[in-house]
Amino acid sequence: MEKMPSPLWTNSTSLERMTGTWRNALPYYKNLPSPCHGACPVDGEIAQWLLQVNKEDHFGAWITLVDNNPFPSIAGRICHHPCETSCNRTNLDETVGICSLERFVGDKALADGWAFAKPQEERPEKIAIIGGGPAGLSAAYQLRRRGFQVDLFEARPALGGLLRYGIPAYRLDKSILDQEIARIIDLGITTHLNAEVLDAKALKKLRENYDAVYLATGASKPKALPGLDYCADYVLDSAEFLAATNAGEKCELGEHLVVIGGGSAAMDVARTARRLGHRVSVLSLEPDELLPAQRAEVDEAKEEGIGFICSSMLKSVVAGDDGITLRCTKIDFKPGETRGAFSMSEVDGGTFDLTAHAIIPAIGQDADIDRWTGMLNAQGPVVATDAKWQTETDGIFAGGDLASMDRFVTQAIGMGKHAAVAIAGYVCPDQVVSQPDKGAEVPYKAINTAYHPKEQRNAQAHLMVDVRLQSFKEVQLPLPEAEAIKEAGRCFTCGTCTLCDNCFLYCPDVAIKKVDGGYTVDADYCKGCGLCVAECPTGSIAMQEES
Amino acid sequence: MEAIKYEENGQFHSGHVACAGCVEALALRVVLNTVGQDAVAVVPPSCTAVICGGYPFSSVKIPVFHTTLESGAASASGVKRALVAKGKPDTTVLCLAGDGGTYDIGLQALSSAAERNEDILYVCFDNEGYMNTGGQKSSSTPLNAVTGSTPAGKLTRKKNMVEILAAHRIPYIATASPSDLNDLTDKVKKAKNIRGMKVLIILIPCLPGWGVADDRAVACAREAVNAGVFPLFEVEDGTKYTLNVKEKVQPVNSYLAMQKRYRQLSEEKISAIQADVDEDWQRLMDKTNGR
Ligand SMILES: Cc1cc2nc3c(=O)[nH]c(=O)nc-3n(C[C@H](O)[C@H](O)[C@H](O)COP(=O)(O)OP(=O)(O)OC[C@H]3O[C@@H](n4cnc5c(N)ncnc54)[C@H](O)[C@@H]3O)c2cc1C
Ligand SMILES: Cc1ncc(C[n+]2csc(CCOP(=O)(O)OP(=O)(O)O)c2C)c(N)n1
Ligand code: SF4
Ligand code: SF4
Ligand code: SF4
Ligand SMILES: [Mg+2]
Repeated sequence: MEKMPSPLWTNSTSLERMTGTWRNALPYYKNLPSPCHGACPVDGEIAQWLLQVNKEDHFGAWITLVDNNPFPSIAGRICHHPCETSCNRTNLDETVGICSLERFVGDKALADGWAFAKPQEERPEKIAIIGGGPAGLSAAYQLRRRGFQVDLFEARPALGGLLRYGIPAYRLDKSILDQEIARIIDLGITTHLNAEVLDAKALKKLRENYDAVYLATGASKPKALPGLDYCADYVLDSAEFLAATNAGEKCELGEHLVVIGGGSAAMDVARTARRLGHRVSVLSLEPDELLPAQRAEVDEAKEEGIGFICSSMLKSVVAGDDGITLRCTKIDFKPGETRGAFSMSEVDGGTFDLTAHAIIPAIGQDADIDRWTGMLNAQGPVVATDAKWQTETDGIFAGGDLASMDRFVTQAIGMGKHAAVAIAGYVCPDQVVSQPDKGAEVPYKAINTAYHPKEQRNAQAHLMVDVRLQSFKEVQLPLPEAEAIKEAGRCFTCGTCTLCDNCFLYCPDVAIKKVDGGYTVDADYCKGCGLCVAECPTGSIAMQEES
Repeated sequence: MEAIKYEENGQFHSGHVACAGCVEALALRVVLNTVGQDAVAVVPPSCTAVICGGYPFSSVKIPVFHTTLESGAASASGVKRALVAKGKPDTTVLCLAGDGGTYDIGLQALSSAAERNEDILYVCFDNEGYMNTGGQKSSSTPLNAVTGSTPAGKLTRKKNMVEILAAHRIPYIATASPSDLNDLTDKVKKAKNIRGMKVLIILIPCLPGWGVADDRAVACAREAVNAGVFPLFEVEDGTKYTLNVKEKVQPVNSYLAMQKRYRQLSEEKISAIQADVDEDWQRLMDKTNGR
């Protein structure tokens, strides 16, 4: 019989073959910032803490949050949330409800009594902070946690600035404010209340006694409406009205109030007055669709029965026995190129009268710079500062509404943080850190949306209108935990590797290896196909050409 | 996001010679790691044969027997019977074949093995053509697809292999895709634990053969599933159909658009493809509904 040929046996594995030589591009793990991070005024690590919420590590999420912002409960209620506007997920369905989740984490921290870690070392340098609003408090927090000795001077009897004397309780409950401020002060900050720093001379003195000074006195001077007699008993400025009502004081103003202005402050005045039983009309130059207030505020104001008289201008006021008559005219409003700029013309035959009992102008606030003449200079409407928030006087830094026209709470918090970092570097050179510049962000197309099925965001519940009008209870209701976890799961986690293993498991060449807490690409075998990049759900890997 | 759950156990090595980005290598990696060490593979000529081998090296940790194109299922039957005779009835015998080796040249052997209900797990890497030989058509090539031997597009529709196999009433038939590795893993696990003939048909978008970019094969397979071109389903005992995806959620256009083999199709030809897909989908729905 013919002998069977013996089979051919392989004698080694294919690992002998270095297929990496085929390649002309190699993947690398990058850590690009998410667009929400880029838009966040406090540089929040949003992708990171949303991931922590989704994994039910709420404490971890809070630690990540408060690294940049000691006020998550406050920001979670009233931040203008530019992060949501820039969220990559808006390209798929709707933004992730970042703000509502920030509130969830912040409230969880308050409920469970989480406290900030004490500074790791005590430093001898002393910093004076003038103004206890969000900018001043944020700077105080960031400096104190770095071990500096912080003295905080506040003109009013309580801390908080506009958070306390401007923003009404139905948007930010005072107990939330009190708790988030107390947590900062508990780090060991010396506060001086009812301690107005009067003038340039007093400022100079402080500068001499401290290693650095941070000035964050806000924008305290109401803009005056031309032609309106502010001394008349039927005129009360919005800042005064809000400060009084926020402090629980009564204002005797009569039944029908006309609020002049179309911004957030005007909405706050109008809605506060509604809750106090007044009939309220808002008179604005802008047409309804161009009102500078946030749309939700306008909608809620309307729900609460506030009348809107838009595209209209007050020309004069005639006082009578029982109330006043406002002579108004319809106008043609044209928005300008930049924010706040506009032009207008009166509409022929558009005059009309409005009867009311009082007028509350709410057209904005200016920074009080004159007070510091001799020490500080103006730069347009604000105090002049350099890129590191230092004024023209060495060692005096400024921020918040005083030094910027970005007039939002989280802008103030971010400015306070940035100034604190700069002050730390100023007073002790070993603490100099370069501020990371906001570079390229993860683009939407880097996200593989096959891993992110469409899902509408969780709607945040609101208090019923009739309940709203009877009290100053918060209108916006909290997100229940289960919904918060689910909502956090909608985040693409742009640019932050979630250790999902997709790249590792999809590689046809087994060329990705797991290493301590991450992955590495084995250049001996990677053929450079880019499949790992294509199947990454978070946009955390990219290809790099090789020469 | 659902985590991918197949376990990497070192059953498949780097250094193989599949094209960069080839999802046949990926699917092989998943199948081998899921089946585990107690297995033998029988491989007829195909891309898989090239990927596994390249004498004297092997990218596969289990023993591989390279057989002829006509005889994949027959060789696997023999290997299984030999193992049983040697007292190793639990060793899994895999037959890893291409569509040419399944739909065409190996069909006779496959049909007989199915008819005998051999205890093998037959995996067909369906790249819809004779690809390792340069890209000629097979009976798995779909309507209007251009191949080296159908330069004006194939004139007939893709052979319905699942229905042929179902007619043999074998215990398990399933389709799978590299765009759903969890579904693939589940099906391999399920098949491994069934005695008798099991056939798994995995769609493999072929990068050079279909004209797909190096990093797009998984995306292409995903589009095929979403468009209902390649539905994911199982057939048990030749009669019980189970659909593993909810719906066909989109028309075929975006699937076709990412492949050069469908380049410059007229609207009519696209409609003809859509009509076939719709008809097959309806047929599948009827079967899953027991009609
Ligand atoms: C009615 C209203 C509603 C608003 N709503 C929102 C909102 O919903 N969301 C949002 O993002 N932004 C809102 N803003 C804007 C936001 O409140 C401000 O941008 C922010 O508070 C500015 O912070 P700040 O620390 O610079 O100033 P402030 O909050 O004004 O704080 C300045 C502090 O300095 C103190 N101070 C002033 N002068 C002296 C001095 N000489 N010596 C000692 N202390 C002094 C003041 O008493 C005050 O406590 C609103 C503003 C108003 C007016
Ligand atoms: C009887 C026979 N005819 C032709 C060949 C040449 N041949 C080797 S592989 C192959 C193509 C196989 O196609 P398929 O099974 O689809 O595998 P793929 O290459 O596409 O992976 C052909 C035609 C052969 N080996 N035996
Ligand atoms: S998806 Fe998540 S990480 Fe990406 S921009 Fe939106 S919130 Fe930020
Ligand atoms: S999937 Fe693998 S082979 Fe392809 S680029 Fe990534 S590491 Fe390289
Ligand atoms: S695929 Fe997953 S594990 Fe890999 S980089 Fe992206 S997020 Fe990280
Ligand atoms: Mg083939």
